[in-house]
Amino acid sequence: MAGTIRAQYPATLRPVRINCSGRVTPSLMMRAIGKGADGIVIGA
Amino acid sequence: MLQAARTSRLNIYTYSEVEDVSGFVGNFTVKIRKRARYITNDCNGCGACFEVCPAFGYNEFNEGMDSRKAIYVSFAQAVPSLAQIDMERCIKCELCKGVCELNAIDFDQKDEIIEIEVGSIVVATGWDEFEPPIGYLGFNKYPNVITQLKLERILAPNGPTMGHLVRPSDGKEPKRILFIQCVGSRDLNMNTYCSSGVCCMISIKNSKLIKQHYTDADISVAYMDMRAAGKDYEEYFTLSRKEGIKYIRTNISRIKEDPETHNLKIIMQNTLGSGGLKELEFDLVILSASMVPASGIKKIEKLLKLETSQDGFFKEFHARLNPIDTKIPGIVLAGVSQGPKSIVESIAQGRAAASSLARLMSKDKYRILLIRASVIKERCAKCGLCELNCPYNAINLKDDGAEVNEILCRGCGTCLANCPSEAITLRYYREPQYEKQIDAILEEV
Repeated sequence: MAGTIRAQYPATLRPVRINCSGRVTPSLMMRAIGKGADGIVIGA
Repeated sequence: MLQAARTSRLNIYTYSEVEDVSGFVGNFTVKIRKRARYITNDCNGCGACFEVCPAFGYNEFNEGMDSRKAIYVSFAQAVPSLAQIDMERCIKCELCKGVCELNAIDFDQKDEIIEIEVGSIVVATGWDEFEPPIGYLGFNKYPNVITQLKLERILAPNGPTMGHLVRPSDGKEPKRILFIQCVGSRDLNMNTYCSSGVCCMISIKNSKLIKQHYTDADISVAYMDMRAAGKDYEEYFTLSRKEGIKYIRTNISRIKEDPETHNLKIIMQNTLGSGGLKELEFDLVILSASMVPASGIKKIEKLLKLETSQDGFFKEFHARLNPIDTKIPGIVLAGVSQGPKSIVESIAQGRAAASSLARLMSKDKYRILLIRASVIKERCAKCGLCELNCPYNAINLKDDGAEVNEILCRGCGTCLANCPSEAITLRYYREPQYEKQIDAILEEV
């Protein structure tokens, strides 16, 4: 959807490919936050 | 049908039901219950037994408008041409046994369960006509309100009236005929979908057909929108209007019956014209009921672990990009099992389904991605959450823990997100691999 409406995301966003949003575990998100990420976008 | 029955490598199981399906693409095992006909394959369909049989039943093929015997052939062109006995109607007089020259009648026959091995499956379960609630638009309340399927049988040369259009109440030829469109479809209280314009085209077809035989017939069609989308369809619609068939855009307000003549009085307003509510009288009313999924669809859905979409028809892999395959490799959809469609579209989809499977089955190998779930059996608590949540039915709980079928698995990872013991990992997408990725990305912060 973000692609079809040509939405822009900040250049500081780093994508991590995960097969399904069901696979995203809290521990992965907490790890990213812990390492200094400002936020997490789940693009399902 | 006859040609199909004569093709040597094609086995047809009629009067049978699928009981169980197991396995995966290239390796399905299907259990089929062949119902007892109480007739052996020696029968040649001569029909001598029908004549002596004293018991009657409704003729389902003619929508119950005439009768058949308890021993009967489902319809004249049935393939294979074998008789069968309706045991609910049979009085076990065994008169049929006396006249059968081939000794084909066997009252002790039992249902037979056979197992066949197949590589792939086409689901072509078709549709049923929507049955309006009793009394809705006079259905099943007034004898001269019939559905489109009944009209088809009345108009058929091999139907209960030999193709003569007569109305059910008095057997007289109706002069004023009304078709009512969108019965049970495009209706938020019944079925929300449109039956793909099929009922529109059937009404146009049948009204033209009636007009051809009875030129003085006064035919009207009460419609919401005439959906004549398709090659030559609009021209066909225009032609029917030129032939004098009246199209009235309206919603039917009320339908009443004259108790003496059984004529129907319909109160409606032509929303394209002026004049407000009008009461019109008709001799015969035909309801264009919508197409609904075949009655057994829920059972097949369970057996094949498929999904249905909101309208109740089978869910395809992708509504626009791939309406043929299902989420399970080796199982494809054809015809109305996937959604309402016309004969033209059903044929197109049937052939597409065949070629989709031919492409799969003509190769010796089946390639899968290696991204698959795997279970660490020592950690598995055998809770069964993974089996419950797997959308592809790829996990089975065994005695020593959950087991993943790598061919059915699509590597979505739902199972490992659900596993409370963290006993499942996804090859190439394991937790430490993600952790490393996140760490590397965030190094620069």
